[in-house]
Amino acid sequence: MTTPSRTFLLRRHLNKLRWLSLGLVFAMLLLLPMLSVYQNYAAAHAYDLLSADEKAFYDLMHGLTAPFTADPAEDLDAIKGTTWAGRFFGYKIGDPLSAVGQLAAGGALYWPLLFAVLIPTLASLLFGRFFCGWICPASFLYELNTGLGVWLDRIGLRPGRRRLDRRLKYLVLAVGLGLSAATGTVLFAAIYPPAVVGRELYYAIALNGFGTGAVFFAATVLFDLLVARRGFCRYLCAGGALYSLLGRYRLLRIQRVPASCNDCTKCNVACEFGLDPMRDGFGQECNNCTACIAACPTDALEFRITWHDQPYQGPGHLGRRYRRQPGGDTPERPADGGEG
Amino acid sequence: MHRRTFLRELLSAAAATVSLAVPLPSAAVTASQRFLRPPGAAPEADFAALCIRCGQCAEVCPNRCINFFGGELGVAKLDTPYIVPREQACILCMKCGEVCPTDALRAIPRELDAILAGVRMGTARVDESLCLSYQGKTCGVCYRACPLQDVAIRAGRLEQPIVSAEHCVGCGLCERSCIQMPQAIRVIPDQQRASTRQVAA
Repeated sequence: MTTPSRTFLLRRHLNKLRWLSLGLVFAMLLLLPMLSVYQNYAAAHAYDLLSADEKAFYDLMHGLTAPFTADPAEDLDAIKGTTWAGRFFGYKIGDPLSAVGQLAAGGALYWPLLFAVLIPTLASLLFGRFFCGWICPASFLYELNTGLGVWLDRIGLRPGRRRLDRRLKYLVLAVGLGLSAATGTVLFAAIYPPAVVGRELYYAIALNGFGTGAVFFAATVLFDLLVARRGFCRYLCAGGALYSLLGRYRLLRIQRVPASCNDCTKCNVACEFGLDPMRDGFGQECNNCTACIAACPTDALEFRITWHDQPYQGPGHLGRRYRRQPGGDTPERPADGGEG
Repeated sequence: MHRRTFLRELLSAAAATVSLAVPLPSAAVTASQRFLRPPGAAPEADFAALCIRCGQCAEVCPNRCINFFGGELGVAKLDTPYIVPREQACILCMKCGEVCPTDALRAIPRELDAILAGVRMGTARVDESLCLSYQGKTCGVCYRACPLQDVAIRAGRLEQPIVSAEHCVGCGLCERSCIQMPQAIRVIPDQQRASTRQVAA
């Protein structure tokens, strides 16, 4: 056995770092609508008219922002929006799907929007579907939903474990583009969970309560729970399809080191996207979420800078199959793994 | 997986998606069509294709006048911003156009000439049979509420409001301020503006 090295420990904690990132993004989506309400109160000089609860809320927001600004009504406009489209100190940043959707709906692209989606697009070319694993506010809820499924399983309620064809989401993307063009409407805004979650949180906190999108999102959560684990992200998400296509030749990839692998399947169980890390089955769907790295007991998965996956490298050298027949195994991925 | 199971699941998943994406029709009959778009909005014919439904226009609005449609007017208007001036009118701060990531709301500087040239939300119309000033009781509230005073609304005898259709941008502050019920001055939305996309193309 190899002794766990220092890099091994660091790598293991990447998954916690990812949860921190997801949590921070989600917290921002809760905080920004509150700041918006606070700005409205401040702009209206309304403090004396507020109820006791609203005053407490105002004081809290004032306490949070007072160190940074003396004029909340103006200065807090610097950070606005959601992961779908937002503003960060003068730079507008947006989801690549919003530009693609607008292009399909209107037949023309507003070019500043192209600037807004430039950084996310370049990052996806380098890191693949990282948005899905590290930023997406819907992923945050869907992964918690997976955890709920594990708890339900423990008390005897088995969550859905169906496997559909993961190419379905490219069909959703294509049909969505076609319908957008036919109706002249950016339809993805209504069926893309991160856009829906950001918007509905804003509606719920700052406006009149949840809208129609919340019903859609609840349906996707139930779909994940009753039909397929992370089913929407795996099989139906149009944005995930776009990110997968962008990340097809991504440069940062997780790869397996057969010399350290013992074929324990923990990585395959941990993979939210139902991929096959144990047999080098990553592909364009991998979102670099590092859950498999965190699950690996033998430090056999690592990040590498390369533009393609390894073909199946044979069974892990610490596993039973390899020890029985060292080198004698044909390096071909078994037909049952990796799909769905 | 068997092909038959797969096809069945594909169909059921597709059916579920479609039924969720397309809202039920018919509610359009009861919902009001008299709404304004925020200032600088593209013509109504182009709006659904430009707006990406990010909600930032309402988030920066200091007056909380921007709200969003549910499914009541159909999927093309779903989650797009609107203003009903009687509830809360636009104060022409022009922050929404500045934050909008698309051309749905154009960025227009907060200056008189730029606003007169670029903002076309609607036009105010006075119902003289309801207006107090026209009935001989001096009122003048709408004239004082107008942010483009003496340009969009001039005051006549007994402060009768005289709207200049050419200069009124349709912010709705006059309708918001009118003390009559029903309002004697109302903004008629400018939704018939021709699409600019064909001209540009």
